[in-house]
Amino acid sequence: MTKKKIKLYFQPDKVNEPITYHLVKEYDIKFNILRAVVEEKGGRLLIEVEGQPAQISKGIAYLQSIGVDVKEMNEYVMKDVSRCTNCGMCVSICPAGAIEMDRETWEVIFDQGKCIACGLCVTACPPQAMKLKI
Amino acid sequence: MKRTYEEINAKIQRGDAVVMTAEEAIKLAESNGIEKAAKEVDVVTTGTFGAMCSSGAFINFGHSEPPIRMKRVWLNGVPAYTGVASVDAYIGVTEEREGNGPPYGGAHVIEDLVSGKAVHLRATASGTDCYPRKDIDTYISLRTVNQAYMYNPRNAYQNYGVATNSSDRTLSTYMGKLLPHYGNMTYSSAGQLSPLLKDPTLRTIGIGTRIFLGGGIGYVAWEGTQYKTTPPVKNDVPVGPARSLAVIGDLRGMSTEFLQPLTFTGYGISLAIGIGIPIPILDEDIMRTAVLRDDQLFAPVFDYAIQSRNRKPIAEFSYAQLKSGSVELFGKKVQTSSLSSYYKARIIADRLKKMIEESEFMLTRPVERLPEERTQRALDVCSREDVL
Repeated sequence: MTKKKIKLYFQPDKVNEPITYHLVKEYDIKFNILRAVVEEKGGRLLIEVEGQPAQISKGIAYLQSIGVDVKEMNEYVMKDVSRCTNCGMCVSICPAGAIEMDRETWEVIFDQGKCIACGLCVTACPPQAMKLKI
Repeated sequence: MKRTYEEINAKIQRGDAVVMTAEEAIKLAESNGIEKAAKEVDVVTTGTFGAMCSSGAFINFGHSEPPIRMKRVWLNGVPAYTGVASVDAYIGVTEEREGNGPPYGGAHVIEDLVSGKAVHLRATASGTDCYPRKDIDTYISLRTVNQAYMYNPRNAYQNYGVATNSSDRTLSTYMGKLLPHYGNMTYSSAGQLSPLLKDPTLRTIGIGTRIFLGGGIGYVAWEGTQYKTTPPVKNDVPVGPARSLAVIGDLRGMSTEFLQPLTFTGYGISLAIGIGIPIPILDEDIMRTAVLRDDQLFAPVFDYAIQSRNRKPIAEFSYAQLKSGSVELFGKKVQTSSLSSYYKARIIADRLKKMIEESEFMLTRPVERLPEERTQRALDVCSREDVL
């Protein structure tokens, strides 16, 4: 089993496709919706998918075949180390437990792998060191 | 054991003063006892790096040709106060740029000046016989202006309240983002490294005390605004905000490593400032407070959902508990966050230690002590007669 975070962008005419249903039914992919935005010019969806690597690849191919733009995301939130003061304001804000304080060095450790791209740390960070890339 | 300022300074000058950060002194006192630690150590250094909203800088721009008596002045679009003499102005850190755009305020102007950048100056005036000019549009930098010094009416608070939120919506406060239903808790003191907690009655910190300010040298100018001596005390240290300092120091010589503009979404702008104060170990009594640990220092918790100056503490925790990452409040585990950087506080205490060891920083006896008793007054809506 592998986990991946992917960003989907679809045109207005595709918003009625039950794509998540197909992903579960046809490719046995577990997924978690992290962000969803629907606007006049289309929709953007950030999902975390979990399944067999081959099935995930097939699922992505299916999405592309129906015209959904798929982008694999490795980094959603970026930390600008030159602005971070290591205060730790973000630590208690993060619902995913992706940010921790190292109590030896008192440095803030950000674990990209656990990040769910909610963006709460971005608006909570006083020196504006956290930036959302999505 | 007694030691004088003169003895300490003579040792600093010779380069053989024993200087320790508060963290190091705590370890020494734990293993050897306070009596021995006091004998051995001449100076304990402290540090803090947190949001200090009551801060700003005076700048004298120099006279233009023909001269102007500035009535309104903007620095990179941020209004500064110029209700003093013709080309003097005060830029406060929380003042915000007019119009839309990314958050930018007085704190950012100060950061730009200290980092050597050019800053846009615009001023308008009504024009007088002695100052005929009515407007000016130009650039300044720390290289071009006459004086540029920080004067901060309230810094280095002696302890502070912890914030949480009982309501069902997220609150945007100067204590950061507070999640609903006691979703988190924020505190802002460096605890065992924080300057005024280590000399709680300010025996050695008073008017004229030389300090580390924003990476440069500064001085204690006065009692800070809202200075008070009335909060309850535990282990000789006030539980909650008590004394504070008004400080002054040249922007030239400061460093952006120790000045960081802060944006509190939904609240406004502030400036994090690094301050370090040396505590001369004059006797065992001062060593006893200089080595107080996080588990001996306490802070009250306030519910920011109550929008009143009269809110009462709902709990009390030690800094050891707060720094552990979570505390238990009403049977619920609540995650904690610090607003001040302990990481930077350590760097400051260490930097100050090195400056003293290398004879670059001498200690000062206060010219005058700060008030030993002071209560804080409130602002009420009164009639003319009521206030007399």
